[in-house]
Amino acid sequence: MATHTNDHYHPPGLQHQFENMKQQEESVSIGMWMFLAQEIMFFGGMFTVYLLYRWKFPMAFAAGSNHLDAFLGGLNTLVLIVSSLTMALTVYYAQKGNRMMQVVMIVLTMIFGTVFLGVKAVEYTEKYNKGLIPFANWNHKTPKGEERKVATSLIETKVSAAENKDAEHTAEHEYKSSTGVFEWKDLSLPQMAEKEGFLTEWEKVGYYSDGKLNEQKFESKVRIFFWIYFCMTGLHGLHMIVGLGLMLWLLWKAWLGSYTAEYYSPVEMAGLYWHFVDIVWIFLFPLLYLLGRHFMHGGH
Amino acid sequence: MSDNHEETHEHMGIPKYIGIFLALVFGTILTYFTALTDLDTMLFAGANTLLALIIAFTKMTLVILFFMHVWWNGTLIKLTAVASFFWLAIMFAFVMQDYLTRGFGVFNK
Amino acid sequence: MDATVNNKIGTAVVDRTVEKTRTHYLNNGHSLSSWLLTKDHKRIAILYLITVSAFFLLGGVYAATIRLELLTPASDLLESGTYNKVFTQHGIIMVFFFLIPVVPAILGNFLLPLMIGAKDLALPKINLLSWYFYMTGGGLTLFALIQGGVDTGWTFYTPYSTTFSNGYVMLAGLGIFVNGFSSILTGLNFIVTVHTMRCPGMTWFRLPLFVWAHYATSLVMVLGTPVIAITILLMALERVAHIGIFDPSIGGDPILFQHLFWFYSHPAVYIMILPGMGVISEIIANYSRKKIFGYEFVAFSSLAIAVFGFLVWGHHMFVSGQSMYAGLVFSFLTMVVSVPSAIKMFNWTATMYKGSVSYDTPMLYAIGFMGLFLIGGLTGLFLGAMGLNVHLTDTYFIVAHFHYVMVGGTVLAYLGGLHMWWSKITGKTYSEFWGKISALLVFVGFNLTFFPQFILGYMGMPRRYASYSEELQVLNVFSTAGASVLGIGLVLPLIYLTYSLFFGEKAKSNPSMLPGLEWRTQSPPPTLNFDETPVVTWEAYEFGEENGLDIEKARREATV
Repeated sequence: MATHTNDHYHPPGLQHQFENMKQQEESVSIGMWMFLAQEIMFFGGMFTVYLLYRWKFPMAFAAGSNHLDAFLGGLNTLVLIVSSLTMALTVYYAQKGNRMMQVVMIVLTMIFGTVFLGVKAVEYTEKYNKGLIPFANWNHKTPKGEERKVATSLIETKVSAAENKDAEHTAEHEYKSSTGVFEWKDLSLPQMAEKEGFLTEWEKVGYYSDGKLNEQKFESKVRIFFWIYFCMTGLHGLHMIVGLGLMLWLLWKAWLGSYTAEYYSPVEMAGLYWHFVDIVWIFLFPLLYLLGRHFMHGGH
Repeated sequence: MSDNHEETHEHMGIPKYIGIFLALVFGTILTYFTALTDLDTMLFAGANTLLALIIAFTKMTLVILFFMHVWWNGTLIKLTAVASFFWLAIMFAFVMQDYLTRGFGVFNK
Repeated sequence: MDATVNNKIGTAVVDRTVEKTRTHYLNNGHSLSSWLLTKDHKRIAILYLITVSAFFLLGGVYAATIRLELLTPASDLLESGTYNKVFTQHGIIMVFFFLIPVVPAILGNFLLPLMIGAKDLALPKINLLSWYFYMTGGGLTLFALIQGGVDTGWTFYTPYSTTFSNGYVMLAGLGIFVNGFSSILTGLNFIVTVHTMRCPGMTWFRLPLFVWAHYATSLVMVLGTPVIAITILLMALERVAHIGIFDPSIGGDPILFQHLFWFYSHPAVYIMILPGMGVISEIIANYSRKKIFGYEFVAFSSLAIAVFGFLVWGHHMFVSGQSMYAGLVFSFLTMVVSVPSAIKMFNWTATMYKGSVSYDTPMLYAIGFMGLFLIGGLTGLFLGAMGLNVHLTDTYFIVAHFHYVMVGGTVLAYLGGLHMWWSKITGKTYSEFWGKISALLVFVGFNLTFFPQFILGYMGMPRRYASYSEELQVLNVFSTAGASVLGIGLVLPLIYLTYSLFFGEKAKSNPSMLPGLEWRTQSPPPTLNFDETPVVTWEAYEFGEENGLDIEKARREATV
């Protein structure tokens, strides 16, 4: 029985190339998942770079990781999870056709998304102040004569604590640079690894020159860590911003009552995108902030 | 003849969404505190990393299955989700197989 | 089915006297915005046809320049730095702006919905967006070329591209990055369309093999292209920030770049060839008037190529410094990935056996494809053997190999398909005489150009060098002579096909009585493709009345 393509009841939002809403929903859903599949491969490239360099230089990565604020990172993770909940509830209320609650949930999602970006901004500023931005000397340039002591997160190391090392290898160091260049002074972790004997082959070559631990060389590896940190969280943040833009559009349409129990797939698709961005962060948080932290807390 | 949408296929109720949410929060807190304890000496080398990854995978699975509704989707979507990660695994595995096998001393010194 | 020749389309009631004012997709709106803002997949295909052809011509100009320079052993026409830019730009334009989109974005876009009985692709606006990404990426890359060009080779290897090159690497990279989205969106669209838009009765195993091939290609597009995107991004960031992820002095690894680059770029060659193979399946079936032998095997072989194609990229890096063990794995898998392609070749040959073969232009291209792809594919296997690769890598053997598969393969398949479906796309008939002449010129010219390059490569002539040693000149002269013939053969279709647009005979809908769904609508098709949604009750490639083909109607139309 051939179906006719001319006028019968067209549910709102049905596009002309589709026969019915079910076909449209299915198509849009598969399309969105294909898009997410390619996003996974996109981030995957950066995860590969992370994987390789973490495998090569674990101590440099542990060192850098310990200088990230895991509390803020964890807080951000919780914020994103809450926003994921509110996003899921947005879809729920759209399915129910509840316009008011949809709008409330979208607004909440946007609020939490913005909080996430705000916390990220705080973190990035902290890096700027501590001279940990690895490119283009984009760090705080201390004007001549200014006495500036920046408190870094204290790192208790078994080595420095147990042996009461001299000042230059304890946790705190001040960042004072007129050029804004990236700086790393803390060599406690590779020293500990050297003592305990778990440096990788790459590290045995990469941190040393003339048989001695070379600060410059170690610094270049930590710089790689921070570059990966900024690139991955930056890329993630960009996706968050796009997500917020998507939410704004969704808010406007939801406010107008465009989404009903009959037609809510745009909300669902936006939700898929949002959850994907959340999932990326679920991996970024432990991989960037938490691995190697155990060295610093009475471990090994 | 026209399609009637009576079945509002809502997937699960609000309490269940909150339940999944709490599981995710629990996972986050768990991963944070286990990262601070040294499992590498207590168990085996790499234990911290393994645990963090397991927790992350579990959280991701919960989000995919329940927040993204894959639990209720057809085989195609389930396959797509799995396949994407499989492709990622190909990229990781085949890149790392190069680095892991360098300098073995069998073919090259 | 009406007994009279009557096409009821929209509100226009047509009879024979006003046949020429029948509304179809080409005359359905003449304004610029009806073309530039179209959602009709057929119009988008035409937009691609024009722009992709333009890029092909530009790439061809670069090719001509290369061949002119290589007439003489010394680097006299161009100095080395300029020569580097010329071959780089030839590569970038041909790979990213011609080979990747040519069959999927032109023939795929046009024919896929028709072949499955749909009104349009699933996501028409995304389709249009795809073309705009292509144009933007192309524009940015052209801008980079005008500004001064890139000289890194189309492969952008580090550390040259990140540290030392003075060319417009980032701008060209940006162009390719943006263009990548064109690929991704097209692939995404095809996958969704094949899953959800098939007409009633069109089951998976009744799909034409063209559709299977494009489905497999789309999988590669969606999963592979984002990796080149992130690779270009990383290269650009490295160029700006000099962190050293690809710099050995800091502990970075230039081979990491190669791994990430080839993770996409090898599957990319399958993006280039798979749709072409789909076209060949259609041509051979149609011009042998026989169902493709081993339909399921050919269908699954497309999927197998797509999947296995992701596992072999290291065969581009045998001598780069990757470990021997990795080289072994990649080499073995390279042998494996050739099997599905071989299956296709055997099945095409078996299809022609005892078929009713007619040697029209598309069939000439298809037979040419089979011979040339055979050579190209086999030489690929030679190169996949690590030992031989050490001798042949970075020589003209490689150049010859990939031109055999890309030009002898993809370009021939594209031309064959363009000719076969020309009447459907434009409603006009081209001159068969000139078609055959061109096909012959292309075949002869191509072999004369590239076969000597196998020998040159074996004798040690390196690729990407503007100068070479004296004794290699004879073969180079042959090669350049062949290039002239090939050039003529490739330009001729431009002339006679364009001529046919204005002066060609009007084409009937299905003059050869072919069974595909695309042949069961008018030439050119109406905007919504079919007057009534088809209902399929027959298997693929069934030549005969059981497949619902109205032979009487076709005979009537042929004699009128």
